[in-house]
Amino acid sequence: MAPAKPALERSGPHLREEDTLLSAPVESRSFPERAAGATRDRFLQQALTIATTRFVASRDEVFAAFPQGDALRDRARQIKEAVLQRLDHYLEQLTANVERAGGHVHFATTAEEARAIILDIARRNQVKLIVKGKSMAAEEIHLNEALEHAGMAVAETDLGEYIIQLAHERPSHIIAPAIHKTKAQIADLFARELRREVAADPEVITRLARGTLREKFLQADMGITGANFAVADTGTIVLVTNEGNGRMVTSLPRVHVALMGVEKVIPSMTDLVIFLQILARSATGQKLSSYTTLVRGPRRPTELEGPQELHLVLMDNGRVRQLAGTLREALYCLRCGACLNVCPVYRQIGGHAYGDTYPGPIGILMTAMLRGTPAVKDLAHASSLCGACAEVCPVRIDIPRMLIELREHLDREKIAPWPERLLFKACGWLLGRPALYRLAAPLARLGQAPFVRDGRIRSLPSFFGRWTRTRDLPAVAARTFGERWAALAREA
Amino acid sequence: MTTRAEFMERVRREMARTRGLFPARVAERPADPMTAAELVRRQLAERWPQALERFRQEFERLSGVFHAVASPSEVPAVVGRIARERSARRLITWSASALGADLGEGFRGEGLDAVAMPDDPVDEAAARELRAINAAAEIGITGADLAIGETGTLVLVSGRGRPRSTSLLPEYHFAVFDRRALVETLEQAGVMLEAWHADPADPMSGGVINFITGPSRTADIELTLTRGVHGPREVHAIFVSR
Repeated sequence: MAPAKPALERSGPHLREEDTLLSAPVESRSFPERAAGATRDRFLQQALTIATTRFVASRDEVFAAFPQGDALRDRARQIKEAVLQRLDHYLEQLTANVERAGGHVHFATTAEEARAIILDIARRNQVKLIVKGKSMAAEEIHLNEALEHAGMAVAETDLGEYIIQLAHERPSHIIAPAIHKTKAQIADLFARELRREVAADPEVITRLARGTLREKFLQADMGITGANFAVADTGTIVLVTNEGNGRMVTSLPRVHVALMGVEKVIPSMTDLVIFLQILARSATGQKLSSYTTLVRGPRRPTELEGPQELHLVLMDNGRVRQLAGTLREALYCLRCGACLNVCPVYRQIGGHAYGDTYPGPIGILMTAMLRGTPAVKDLAHASSLCGACAEVCPVRIDIPRMLIELREHLDREKIAPWPERLLFKACGWLLGRPALYRLAAPLARLGQAPFVRDGRIRSLPSFFGRWTRTRDLPAVAARTFGERWAALAREA
Repeated sequence: MTTRAEFMERVRREMARTRGLFPARVAERPADPMTAAELVRRQLAERWPQALERFRQEFERLSGVFHAVASPSEVPAVVGRIARERSARRLITWSASALGADLGEGFRGEGLDAVAMPDDPVDEAAARELRAINAAAEIGITGADLAIGETGTLVLVSGRGRPRSTSLLPEYHFAVFDRRALVETLEQAGVMLEAWHADPADPMSGGVINFITGPSRTADIELTLTRGVHGPREVHAIFVSR
């Protein structure tokens, strides 16, 4: 099996700028620059507000009418933890049952290995055209670029992903990849790519995409999907979609490859039904998505259609070492996107500013998992730690706790810049000395005097100015709570 | 390349370094799925009218169209009326044995070009021809193995005479079912899934089981709800009461 060439050695006429992304971060601009750019983009701001507000409202409404939701979320969280505690057992069982049903199972430790495995399957089957269902795992390993570089045509078939592919961009939301684009922009894009007039009407654009992609489904040699779940007890791969592209991809081409992170395995159909009850509710506010597709093995001898070959690729890519790592809990994630919609930071900057495959609060943890802690030295601070993400998470992942641990790690390992570390050190030192801390308030009042206007500090000099450039600070009160409390105690 | 043994070894090594975050258990499964499924069926033998009413409400909320007929022979007339309204003629259907009724004559009587899927595998040339017919069909007729009241969901198992694409490629999908398919909750559907998989030789245990909850839809362009992206834009449920 030929290993995939490293990204930077590649060349060729069809190479685009973003092709160099195979292992590098998405952009050369720093996170603060990307975030600042996003906050200046007026359309993006509007789109983000509409999308996130609507998702949050739908989610809240559907859970309000579902009293058993909270108990199911507790059970789902337990199941995820229980699976990780016996992950070897469930992966062995899944492997045995997929093979029993006639499928093949592959093991990929790295992204490179996963690409090589899938490329090899495609080459052996002389694949020319590939249709893809929506898969964050495939995004994560930049699979399309690798396949295209090997001379194969790849068509994304989720409408949002298809739009993103035509525009040579990356998804900006886990479940609504193209929310940053207007219908007019999309119509222009289709007009240019398909060389015909296209009205800026979602209905018209969707009809056009249906026709174009239908041809591809019928011609494709191979389908690639992710997996929302894999049921160990039966060897079943579960795909959840609204458009039906997941069904097309697993019904029409002669080869089906499913790529999944190891953490997606669940024990049984009974567990599956628990997850199904909370997944779509959390993602889109639906009770169930339009299609939940349970795939067990390749086509049966009694069937007229369905793939003749089925391959499941189990991928590690930084996950396994987190079993005993600080990010273990992030392995519970169902990729519903609920934490993005409620995050005050995501709502301001959108998905692209995060600069990697997975945006939003969970995305920061996933980026740290995939690329190591130094990759999130800025992102780890892109959270107000308000806890809204943990509150809506269907499996109650404590994202703020892990963000704080990441920040601690960045400080301890001297990855954070020295002024930041010095500041934390000084604060820690002061907070550990109550007598000195009590002295700090009167001193701060003296120090802040030149900068306070109407009880707020709006601009600070030098290094500290970076804080006040985009926000203000409340001034230290004329009498702090501690001072008032001490006075009250004396009166009593 | 990483072998299965190496991969699992690494998983075990990392697992050994922690006891996990808290004591946790997986979902409790029915000890005997067949008996549990039988119990659900017995409960529903009495409660099916409530399950049907709930199904109708939920299904209509998803913009599904609900029809009730007295016997299978009345199905073609329902389909024929809708087809004429939509100017659709080309129809594909699960085989007579998969549907439990031979409706071919009935469909043709309604002026529809009806093609039934064969029960047995066909050679490559015939398969190509069938695929062309399926791709051009406007109407797809299937059965439904479950109809879930709580969510308005139709569950279809692929297999002999029941291709995966009959409910997918055409713009208009009609699913025909009777009271035996009705369950009230997803949890009960879970019991059925456990029962179907209890015996690996059971034809209900595979290739593909689809939970269909309303038409194909997307909101990928400015969050505008649009139906019929890749799959059907309309889903009709025909309940046969006899």
